[in-house]
Amino acid sequence: MNEQRRQILQLLAEGRITADEADSLIDALERDQPKAPPGAAPRSKSRPRYLRVVVNSLDEFDDGPSRINVRVPLQLLRAGVRLTTLIPPQALAKVNTELGRVGVPIDLNELKPQHVEDLIDQLGDVDVDIDDPSATVRVYCE
Amino acid sequence: MIPQVVTARWRRSDGRWRRLFVPVLPVALLLSPLLLLAVFGGMIACLATRVSPLGALRGVGRVLWALPGTRFEIDDGRMAVLVSVR
Repeated sequence: MNEQRRQILQLLAEGRITADEADSLIDALERDQPKAPPGAAPRSKSRPRYLRVVVNSLDEFDDGPSRINVRVPLQLLRAGVRLTTLIPPQALAKVNTELGRVGVPIDLNELKPQHVEDLIDQLGDVDVDIDDPSATVRVYCE
Repeated sequence: MIPQVVTARWRRSDGRWRRLFVPVLPVALLLSPLLLLAVFGGMIACLATRVSPLGALRGVGRVLWALPGTRFEIDDGRMAVLVSVR
């Protein structure tokens, strides 16, 4: 309970204002409270640290079910992305040429580390859940 | 924080698990002469390919520092492998 609300209730308890007046004062107080911006994340939500990939499949052969459980720190993804800045421009030009030749017209020179880092920052909201009768796949951040 | 222990576990054909704990720092100290050679080799390769050696060292350091917490676990029928970095 904040201080202003407490003062209003105190005035009501002392009989200096009526219940209706206290109600209208509290309403006015709530209207004046700054609201959180719509895009803002709740403060209590902690920032994800790991990317998890969990695959469970019922094997069609005699070996039994398969299970894959991978946990990768997001920091490791960031470090890996930064390593790409070391690729020399002439190598990037060759890669671009080869990509264009096989029908993937992606210019890697346009792929800035900042963009990829922004992408990784937004990975926290990713939750891929595939539920198949023979297998389940889940990719999420925790 | 640099990795301290790498744990590898795998299931043998008789179903029993084998574990291997690798303390990173003592092993790195033990292999330091080889590591030094590898660093020199890497620096020469960087100079040959016109990549900044300092940038490469920094990048590899960042990757090493980010490794703790990594965990790979594959269980496929009779075969099972777990690698965990702490």
